[in-house]
Amino acid sequence: MQFGRKTLSLETQAIIMKYKLKYLLGLLPALALLSCSGQAGKTLEIQNEADLSGLRVVTLAGSSYDVELSKREDITLLLYNNSSDCLQALITDKADVMANDEIVFNSAIRNENGVKIAFLGDHSFPTAFMFRKDEAELADTCTAVQRRMIEDGSMQRLKDYWLSDQYAETTTFTHITYETEGAPIRVAAAASTAPIAFRSGDDWYGIEIDLLRELGKELRRPLDIKYYDAASSILALKSGLADVACGCFFVTPEREEEFLFAEPYHDYHPAYFVVDKDVRKQKEGVIAWLKHSIRKNLLTEKRWKYITDGLLETLKISILSILLGSLLGILLYAMTRSRRSWIRSVASAYNAFLSGIPELVLLLILFYVVFAKSGLPSDIVAVIAFAMFFASGACDIYKTSLDAIPGGQTEAGLALGFTRSQTFFNIVFPQALRRGLPLYKGQCISTLKGTSIVGYIAIQDLTRAGDLIRSRTFDAILPLLLVTVFYFLLVWLIGLLLKLASPKKKVL
Amino acid sequence: MITISHLSKTYHNPDGSHLTVLKDVNCEIQPGEVISIIGPSGTGKSTLLRALNLLDPPTGGSIFLNGENILEKGYPVHKMRQKVGMVFQSFNLFDHMTVLENVMYAPCKIRKISLEQAREEAMALLRKVGLADKAEVYPANLSGGQKQRVAIARCLAMKPEVILFDEPTSALDPTMVGEVLSVIRQLAKEGMTMLIVTHEMKFAYDVSTRIFFMNEGVIYEDGTPQQVFEAPVHSATKAFVQRIRKEVFEVEGTDFDFLDMETRIRQFCIKYNIPEVSAKAMRLCELAMPSFRAVNKPLTVRITYSELSEESAMDFMLEGLSDSPLPDAGLTPAAQEEIKGLCREIVEEPTARGFRVKYRFS
Repeated sequence: MQFGRKTLSLETQAIIMKYKLKYLLGLLPALALLSCSGQAGKTLEIQNEADLSGLRVVTLAGSSYDVELSKREDITLLLYNNSSDCLQALITDKADVMANDEIVFNSAIRNENGVKIAFLGDHSFPTAFMFRKDEAELADTCTAVQRRMIEDGSMQRLKDYWLSDQYAETTTFTHITYETEGAPIRVAAAASTAPIAFRSGDDWYGIEIDLLRELGKELRRPLDIKYYDAASSILALKSGLADVACGCFFVTPEREEEFLFAEPYHDYHPAYFVVDKDVRKQKEGVIAWLKHSIRKNLLTEKRWKYITDGLLETLKISILSILLGSLLGILLYAMTRSRRSWIRSVASAYNAFLSGIPELVLLLILFYVVFAKSGLPSDIVAVIAFAMFFASGACDIYKTSLDAIPGGQTEAGLALGFTRSQTFFNIVFPQALRRGLPLYKGQCISTLKGTSIVGYIAIQDLTRAGDLIRSRTFDAILPLLLVTVFYFLLVWLIGLLLKLASPKKKVL
Repeated sequence: MITISHLSKTYHNPDGSHLTVLKDVNCEIQPGEVISIIGPSGTGKSTLLRALNLLDPPTGGSIFLNGENILEKGYPVHKMRQKVGMVFQSFNLFDHMTVLENVMYAPCKIRKISLEQAREEAMALLRKVGLADKAEVYPANLSGGQKQRVAIARCLAMKPEVILFDEPTSALDPTMVGEVLSVIRQLAKEGMTMLIVTHEMKFAYDVSTRIFFMNEGVIYEDGTPQQVFEAPVHSATKAFVQRIRKEVFEVEGTDFDFLDMETRIRQFCIKYNIPEVSAKAMRLCELAMPSFRAVNKPLTVRITYSELSEESAMDFMLEGLSDSPLPDAGLTPAAQEEIKGLCREIVEEPTARGFRVKYRFS
C-alpha cells in the first residue's frame, strides 16, 4: 500500500548504478595511460647467467627455469603461473629479467611490448610428452611416430613452420584431419602458449598439438584437449583424468621418477629477456589504443567468443550451484532442527568442516581425488563443490532469518485458523524473506565471484577466458578490464533477479 | 457449548523429569458467559486456555465443542480455531502488515470473502475498537494498548463463537490497561462468550458472569463474582482474592540502602496505579523511621495494597517488642500532627513476633 518508498529506492538504485558504471568506464583511459607510460633509464646490460647475480628474475612456476634458478641464492626469483603474467611482471618493473622460451616470445611480441633477448642460456632443455607410468604402450607409440616423422622429414617441416616466426604472421591455422573410431586421447595442456600448444578459435594448434594429432591418427583416436595450468595438469595426469600432458615439459630426473616420457622431440633454448629502453614506445591516443586493443584482443581469431562462452559457463555454474545449494541448505537447516542429536551433530560437523576449508582446496580434492575415477564432467564437479559451500551459507541464512521471527507470529496464525503450512507460507516466510534476502543476495554474489577459480579444473569460465586471450596477445589491460566489467554486470543481474523475487510491500 | 472433562497436561522434559500443570479440569461453558480465570502464578490458567484451542494440546481428558470431540484423531483443528479466537498477552500482530491488513488478512485467506467486503468489515471493527484512523499504520508505530485493540479486532474479524483472552493487559503500561479493558467490557455487553485469564481483580469482579479460581492444576472454586470474591468457600481462594500486594524491606544496621527503598516504593505505587500514595509513604518514612530505628530492634517495613478494596497502608514491625514504641519515640508534636494528616487511621497491635504500628492511608 505504500508505493512511495519503493519507487524512491529503485530510483536511488538506478542512480547509484549509473555512477558505478561511470567510475568503471573512467578506469579505462586511466589504465590506458598507465600502459603507455614508458620507463626511464637505461637498458640492463647482461651477457650471461653469471650476470644475473643480485637481480630479480621472473619465470614460470614449476618450469625447468624454476628448478634451475632456484638453486642460485644470489638472485631473487619471482614465480608466476603463465607466460603473460611473467611478461607483465617484466614490463611493469616488478622484475629485471624474465627467463622463458626463446620461441614463445617471437619478434613481433618482443617489439610490441618493448622487450629484447639479452642472451641465450648455456644449456638447452630436452622436451617431450609426459605419460602415466602404466601407459607405456602409448608412450612407445608416440616415440615411434616421432621417429617416423624425423625419417620422412615431416618433423623438420613442422619445426620450420612453428619454431620460426613464420606462424606469427597468420591468424588462421589448419591441422590434419583423420577418421576416428577409438576412445579419445585425453590431453592436459599445461599452458595455452603459442607456438607450443594454444587455442585459436574453437580449436587447439601448435607444434605439440600437431605431433599429438599424428599420434591420434596412428591410433585412429580423436584428441580431447583441456587447458589446465602447469601444476594442475600434472595432478590431472596423476589422477587419471588425462592420458598425456603437453605444454613444453622438460625432461627432468624428478619427473622421470613419477612419469614416463616419450623421446624428446626438441631441445629448447632458455632465453633471458630484459626491457629494451632504447625502443621508446610511441605515444598513442586513448582512442587509438582502444581500437588497437579491441582488434587484437577481441576481433582477431574471434577471441570475443572466449568471453561470451566464459560468461555463459560462469553463469551456468553459478546459477546451478545457487539452486542446488539453496535446496541442500533447506535439508541442512531441517537437520539442524532435528530432534535426534546425531542428525544435528552431522549438520553442524558439515558446517564446521566447510567453513574451515578454502573453496579452491575443496574443488581440487573433489575433482582430482573424490570424483577422479567417476568420469564426472568438470563443470558438474564445480557445481557440486560450490553448491556444498552455498548450502552451508544458506543454512545459516535460513537459520538467522527464520529464528528471528518470534514464535508468537506462528501462534497468532494458528489461532486465527490457518493450517501449519499456511501459517508458514503466509505469515512466517514473508517476514523471514525480508530479513534473509539481503544476506542471500550477498551469498549469491560471493558464490558467483568464487567461481572464478574453476579454471583450476580446466573449465573455461569468464576468468579463464581472460587468461586465454592474454596468453595469445600478452596484453593485460583490456582482457582484465572486460572480465571485470562482465563480472560486475553479472553481479548486477543477480541483484536484479533477486529484486524481482523480493516480496511486494502489499500483502493482499 | 464447551464441555471440558478430566483435562490434564503434563510436560515431559528432555532430562526425563516431568511437570503436571493441569491435573483434572472439569467445567461446562454456556454461550454468552464471560468467565474470568484467576489464581496464583503457575497454576495452569494460561495452559488451560492454550489447551482449549490446542496450541498446547492436552495430554488427557476430553474437550467437546458444540458436541464434537475436538481431541479426536483427524479432527480439523484449524476449522475449530476459526470458531475459537484467541488474544495473546504479547499481541502477536503481523509486523509486516498494516493494521488494516492485519484485520483483513485471515478473512480474505480463510473465509475467502472479497477484498471489498473484508475491507468494509475490517474498517467497521477498527471503528469499534477506536482505531479506524490507524488503518494504514504498521504495528511498530502503535502503543501497546493500541496493538492489543487491533489484536482484538483481528480476532473478531473471523467471527468467532468464543474468544480466549490470555492475560490481555499484563504486557501493558498501567496507563494503557483501561482502553483494552473497556473494549472487552463492550464485547461482554454484546453477549460475546469469553474466557479471560487476568490479574485485574476489579475488572474480573465487574465484567464476569462467572469466576474460575484455579489452584494446583484444578478449578478450585467456580461461581459468580459475588460468591468467589465475597464469600469464598475454600481458604486458599480467600487468601488469594483478599490478597494484599506488598513490598517488604528489612531495615538492618547502619548501611541500609534508603535510596533503593525509595525506588522500590515508587515502582510499587506505579505498578498498582496508586501514585498519590508514593509521596505520602516517602514522607511517612522520613518522619517516623528515625524513631523506630532508635529502638534498636530488627525492623521490618511493609507497604501494602489491596486490589479488591483498593486500600493501601504502611506498617513498621519491631521484632521482640511487646509494647508500643510510640510513646517513647520522641516525635515532635509537629511531626505527630503531620503524620495524622497523612493517614486515615493508625493501628497499634502486638503480633506473634513483636509489635506492629500500621498507618492506613486515606
